[in-house]
Amino acid sequence: MARSNLSRRQFITRSGLVVGGVALAPSVLAACGDSGGGGGDANGISISNWTSYIGKASIKDFERATGIKVTYTEDINDNNEYFAKIQPNLQQGKSIGRDGFVLTDWMANRIINEVEWAQPLAAAKATNKGNIRAALAAPGFDPTRTYSLPWASGTAGIAYNSEQTGEIRTMEEFFRAGGTKTVLSEMRDTIGLLMRADGKDITKPTYADAEPSFDRLQRAVEDGEIAGFNGNEYVSDLASGNLAAAIAWSGDVAQIARDNPKIKFVIPESGGTLWSDNFMIPVTSEKPGLATEWINYWYDPVNAARLTAFIQYISPVEGAADELAKLGGDAAKLVDDPLVNPDAAALAQVSIFGPLSAVEEQRFDERFAKIQGAG
Amino acid sequence: MSASVERDAQGRRRARWTPWLLLAPGFLWLFWFFYLPLSALLRMSLSTKPSRFAVPEFSWAWSNYEQAFSDYGSQFTRSFTYALAATSIALLIAYPVAYVIAFRGGRYRNVLLGLVVVPFFTNFLIRTLAWKTILGDQGAVVSLLRTVGLLDANEALLRTPIAVIGGLTYNFLPFMVLPIYVSLEKIDPKLLDAARDLYSNTWRGFRKVVLPLSLPGVFAGSLLVFIPAAGDFVNAYYLGNAKTTMIGNVVQDQFLVQNNYPVAAALSFVFIAIVMVIVAVYSRLLGTEDLT
Repeated sequence: MARSNLSRRQFITRSGLVVGGVALAPSVLAACGDSGGGGGDANGISISNWTSYIGKASIKDFERATGIKVTYTEDINDNNEYFAKIQPNLQQGKSIGRDGFVLTDWMANRIINEVEWAQPLAAAKATNKGNIRAALAAPGFDPTRTYSLPWASGTAGIAYNSEQTGEIRTMEEFFRAGGTKTVLSEMRDTIGLLMRADGKDITKPTYADAEPSFDRLQRAVEDGEIAGFNGNEYVSDLASGNLAAAIAWSGDVAQIARDNPKIKFVIPESGGTLWSDNFMIPVTSEKPGLATEWINYWYDPVNAARLTAFIQYISPVEGAADELAKLGGDAAKLVDDPLVNPDAAALAQVSIFGPLSAVEEQRFDERFAKIQGAG
Repeated sequence: MSASVERDAQGRRRARWTPWLLLAPGFLWLFWFFYLPLSALLRMSLSTKPSRFAVPEFSWAWSNYEQAFSDYGSQFTRSFTYALAATSIALLIAYPVAYVIAFRGGRYRNVLLGLVVVPFFTNFLIRTLAWKTILGDQGAVVSLLRTVGLLDANEALLRTPIAVIGGLTYNFLPFMVLPIYVSLEKIDPKLLDAARDLYSNTWRGFRKVVLPLSLPGVFAGSLLVFIPAAGDFVNAYYLGNAKTTMIGNVVQDQFLVQNNYPVAAALSFVFIAIVMVIVAVYSRLLGTEDLT
């Protein structure tokens, strides 16, 4: 009796430890995350980026061309999450172990103008900066591109499984289509598309302008017109047929559509959103020169074309398309793909969601969280 | 003579310190890894921020608690309802399983126990994502239920409360099976023989002997399922929709999206308080001083 009692107690203690361990693990991991970082080497830099945003061979090319060693980490999954991760250190002026990271326009605005955690790119090293596409050269958050250069751009629109929904051309057709549908949890893309459907100007967004769109979205959630909010997860659901339609990002859909021609991507007639992910150097980096050489390398159209052939998002570099054509094979086909190399007509259909003031942004975020059921 | 008295006194003095020395590692651990973080969390829950991205400052801001109660009542209710449902279902599934393994398992006992545990060597997230495929509109479960007529053509399983509760039940099931198994296994078979000698039928023997003796296992299992299930956000995130969010999803959003650490901390404290009350009431009801 005593013996079995002990074993049960042991068991409970151990299960308790396991449960406790599982509960603690994420916070411990988060705490360990950024302590080291690369770039300890005087001629080395450490870069954070999103997944599938570079080929491994490309990093070697850069290292061979410049002699700079790169520690490249794909640890950005979500703008807000990455911000939450770097906030504790940067708030106190401590290093985050990175010499560069890549974040979307609105988060770049926050980093550059609100919290001021970005330092200027080293102008002397940015010799290819002039190759930037005119449409991206002077955004509101960094009019002279002093602090940032775009890494890649894309558009948000509607992806649908034509077999389940028939053709979709407008946001209302999207909401009315049968089957399971989701929208993006990236607020600016979902609300941006709805505001454009409402005839509002998203380059200068205000809460008053956005309110009807929020109301429409809330109604869609309450009536079950949309089933949920997604990050990148919609990709597998669309491919497997579990989703009939979704608000989606162009590059992702381009990849599914190649295997599954029933999946279509359309910019709603009322217009879509255009976003860029921007490279920036944190204030705590001691190697802005080397970090600038990194982004400068990708602004050479030849290198930009190689990058685009792999990641299949819109290149921010003028002349990349010509170089893509020269690469031949599958890469050359991308020149005619409007999702990868949009022509003027396609670009006229999309616009950038403008900056929000801190107060306005909080109102947007809170309302969006409420509709998602988390606020 | 006087030397030995002195030695005795010295020994007694040392003996007085021994328990404290033995307790010290435990206390230090608790202090560093429990009380210190908890007090930092408490401080955070009473702080305010001068602006959205500023460092929160301590200011006895009880309004955070007001907000936690007034704005997120439905998510609290949902968390505990779902956790209760998941715990009950897990109990209904786990008890017979544990019973069979303990009393009828014979030499296959260890194999059967292993079968309960092995699926859980897979990553928690992978297991949850697998349910997306199983319950998806194109999956076997939905098409079967549609053929049988239990589901309409436009009804789904994924992104419903059923999927969330199912996911919670599945993910925490072994935490119910194992403690119940342990408490059943230690029951002396002679007690059942005695019950039979006294003309008790199987059902009565179970009700009067087995069930009361297994209650500590049921108690431990329910807590091990209920508490993590109530705080979980992964199942609601991947298997639910905007109307099935739980308190974990709110905390995640407040921490990572809104950057509102004080409200997130206040929510965590309210959650801890509610769980403590529930556990206190529950342990009073089941009367398990035997457990700890």
